[in-house]
Amino acid sequence: MTTLTLSALCQQLLVGLSKATILFIVSSGLSLVLGVLRIPNIFHGSLYMIGAFMAYTVAVAVGGSAGFWVALVAAPVGVAAVSFVIERVLLSRLYEREHLMLLLFTFSVALVLGDLVKMVWGADYRSLSPPALFQGAFDVFGFPFPRYNLFLLGVGPLVAAGLWRLTDRTTIGQIAKAAAVDREMVGAVGINVSWVFAWVFIIGCFLAGLGGALVAPMQNITQGMDHSIIIEAFLIVIIGGLGNIWGALLGAVIFGLTDAVGILVWPQFAIVFPYVAVVTVLLFRPTGLLKSTW
Amino acid sequence: MTKKSILRHPPLYIALAFILLLCLPLMLSRFYLYLLALIFVTGLLATSLNLVLGFGGMYQFHHAVFYGVGAYAFALMLTESGLPAWNAYLAAPIVAGIVGLIMGLICIRLSKLYFGMLQISLGSLVWAIIFRWYSFTGGDDGIHGCYVNGIDSTTNIYYFTLVTVGVCLFIMHRIVRSPFGRVFQAIRDNPERSAAVGVNVMAHQLVGLVIAAVFAGFAGALFVTVEGSAFPDLLFWTLSLEILIMCLLGGWFTFLGPMLGAAIILSLRTVVGIYTEYWTMVLGIVMMLLILFLPEGILGYIGKRREGPVAAERTEP
Amino acid sequence: MKKIFRPTVCLLAALSLIWAAPVIAAKTIKVGIVDCYSGPPSTYTNDVRDAFKLATDRINAEGGVLGRRIEFVTRDSKFKVDIGLSAAKELIMREGVDLLMGTINSALALAISDLARREKIPFFATFSKSAKITGEKGHRYVFSMNENTAMAGRAGAVGLAKRPYVKYWIAGDDYEYGHAIADGVWENLKKLKPEAELLGQSWWKVGEPDFTPYITAILAAQPDAVIVATGGRDCVPFLKAAKATGFNKEVPFFMHTATELSTLLPLGEEAPEGVLGTSNYYFYYPDTPQNQAFVKDFQAAFGRYPKVGALYGYITATFIARAYEKAGEVDTEKFIDALEGMIVDSPVGPLTLRAYDHQVMFPMFMGVTKKSPEYDFLVASEIVTIPGEDVMPTVDEIKKVRGE
Repeated sequence: MTTLTLSALCQQLLVGLSKATILFIVSSGLSLVLGVLRIPNIFHGSLYMIGAFMAYTVAVAVGGSAGFWVALVAAPVGVAAVSFVIERVLLSRLYEREHLMLLLFTFSVALVLGDLVKMVWGADYRSLSPPALFQGAFDVFGFPFPRYNLFLLGVGPLVAAGLWRLTDRTTIGQIAKAAAVDREMVGAVGINVSWVFAWVFIIGCFLAGLGGALVAPMQNITQGMDHSIIIEAFLIVIIGGLGNIWGALLGAVIFGLTDAVGILVWPQFAIVFPYVAVVTVLLFRPTGLLKSTW
Repeated sequence: MTKKSILRHPPLYIALAFILLLCLPLMLSRFYLYLLALIFVTGLLATSLNLVLGFGGMYQFHHAVFYGVGAYAFALMLTESGLPAWNAYLAAPIVAGIVGLIMGLICIRLSKLYFGMLQISLGSLVWAIIFRWYSFTGGDDGIHGCYVNGIDSTTNIYYFTLVTVGVCLFIMHRIVRSPFGRVFQAIRDNPERSAAVGVNVMAHQLVGLVIAAVFAGFAGALFVTVEGSAFPDLLFWTLSLEILIMCLLGGWFTFLGPMLGAAIILSLRTVVGIYTEYWTMVLGIVMMLLILFLPEGILGYIGKRREGPVAAERTEP
Repeated sequence: MKKIFRPTVCLLAALSLIWAAPVIAAKTIKVGIVDCYSGPPSTYTNDVRDAFKLATDRINAEGGVLGRRIEFVTRDSKFKVDIGLSAAKELIMREGVDLLMGTINSALALAISDLARREKIPFFATFSKSAKITGEKGHRYVFSMNENTAMAGRAGAVGLAKRPYVKYWIAGDDYEYGHAIADGVWENLKKLKPEAELLGQSWWKVGEPDFTPYITAILAAQPDAVIVATGGRDCVPFLKAAKATGFNKEVPFFMHTATELSTLLPLGEEAPEGVLGTSNYYFYYPDTPQNQAFVKDFQAAFGRYPKVGALYGYITATFIARAYEKAGEVDTEKFIDALEGMIVDSPVGPLTLRAYDHQVMFPMFMGVTKKSPEYDFLVASEIVTIPGEDVMPTVDEIKKVRGE
């Protein structure tokens, strides 16, 4: 048992929040796709992994600190391009299918993408440095707090604001929201729903790629990254309320904080804390914390 | 469908197939008997999943939990208790059924995707407990060397699994055809209407879940009989997706579809694995093609071709 | 009926085609390797396989063993016990292999070891670190070609006992490997230095994305030193987090594989300095002609530096070849008798396979991470060799855990 000091707790909460940022970015993309297209996208995790690998390749090719910033833009765009192809060629044929079918279909795509990553990038571990600006740590409450985590804390709200603008202030966001509620209706008033769906899907996958690129400087970039993230992302989406982006935000924060506090309070069983949080939430709010679009 | 010739009797075919399977050890080498035994066991697991998935319409996303719990219950009873093996064969389905009941009571209020995801969270908790509880379950190292006296040669294991799986399938088939099974399927097709005519929907679904868990638990015990080991992978969520795929591949609105799916996946894995490391990619591509072109699975497709468009209404198991 | 009959026949035909019989080649010694070649562990297992190939190619070029070539086939276990076990059975029953080797997954190694005992096929564990393999669960047909958690723990304790730390914290991967290493270090450290005190422990799940919260929790407890029992892919992000938070400057820590090339190569110049680590092998140490020759061959064949797995793969091939030669015929029981107590030459000097428990007695090299002018990644410096006899559990200890 740790001696629990207030400053350690505050520090831990901050770290938990920066972890929540990545989770939020990834799961908001998942939630967007679930909410509008009704696709439980298992290969969202693979796209996150591809984002990290692409970020590595681009950053190394460009070199230096600039490499990271170029990668931060290029990797999500690259992931979006991959997802565009998958959506047009495969998924757009399947929108009317049952959710279970879609789930298994996206799982199959995840299997293929997993092996493709192995073919392209091989077995070795990759590692990417944070840009010079964000190397090292600050002293917060007497404990070192990595600068890069601080950067993440800044990125989170930015992405959230961008998503808010997109869904509330743009035509495509409005149409997407309407299509999520009643697909036929939107089609009937003469809007090409298929392209709206394509756009939403690409944006969702862009977020997966962004999450991957952002996590690259902290993580070991390897195969298998997809497995660990996808279940967490799904659980977050579920506790937040299916299809609700703000639910994803809330879920990610809950997930990140229970994890961080669990580590401090009861490290031996930190593994189970987030799961317990999910079960508790669903017992009391069977359809998630916020309103689901389903 | 006018002639009533003897050739039209499915029981006859099943009996013939069974006799053929009984004779196989005379023809096949040890490895194929082992593979067949494994297929029977995995097929039983997939069929038990399909009870709730295909016939109940419930999103049972983490069915492997009951398989793993059954396997561990069996392995621990066998190695720790010192009681005769039949106790362990009894313990596995009972423990799995109890876990199924508890998880069912918690999940049953939720529908579709929420149900499935809550099940995954709860299942992951069970997994974490087994993974961590070194003193009792052996942790991630698992339990090895669990063999049953008398059922330890490949041929014996083959006969044992063949007979027990056959009996289990027969019982499950009777359940599907029973009044309970009919109501269960009616709930799948229209829960609101079923409730309106006075059916207790949740009670039926809960019973269905427990039945499925019981058979999955028994499949777990059979797995340990075949492999001699129990380990946490048996209740990891990826295995659950694999058996979902088996149901889908074989045909999830047919009774024998999951068994066929298990046979195809296990054979594919064994054979493609010999030639390439990339067998999951092959599996992924096969699955994608299947969902695109044969959404009802192989047996579902055959059934549809055989009986015309009426049978496509997925009422006939 | 015809309509269902035809597709059924097609299906059966397809299945039986899939199951077509294997080609059985005569007059070879066939080795079956089951290992994980996908996912993070493959960075280790590829080296085992490649070095094994390098060694067997040479042996075959020189005429093989007893006039036979050594052949090998591989199967990918995907780090799954059920898949790996099934593959091992396929190798034994269908391919008819003489020997089995592989698996970085300890649960799978234990499962295959059990199978090997029943089938009387020798099994060489080449990257599983569980001490149970040659300890509690050891038997006549299993051999360990790598160091295990008990040996790493002992080596770590020997190194740490020489340092002035008293208050310790233990942190690690929450699975058997992590706990076994931690227990190994701690039990031996308590013997060597009874005043050592354990402030607390933290355990994380394998594949943890961010270690900062754990590091903060550890710093809050203010230990003198930390025993980090992490392995595989978590080594890299842990070292990254240690560097980012300045953890390595605040508290010294020991991590078994920290100085290994597989950990330090991906990090490049970004790895933290001053981390205490142990390994069985560095391509730059020991600086002997044998090691230089081995590194040169490996680089020529595969275009990269050999990592620790290469040593394991290489000596496995060497032990197999020498043991058959000594046995004089291809006979499993004679082969095993020949292996027991055998000494072979290796890039790290002569290595003994202990007769009692079939564990290769590896020396352990403890070093401290340091930047190097020669390479664009960190290397181990101040290397201390802890001889094999000092890191091995004694035969009496093995007898005790086996209940003999």
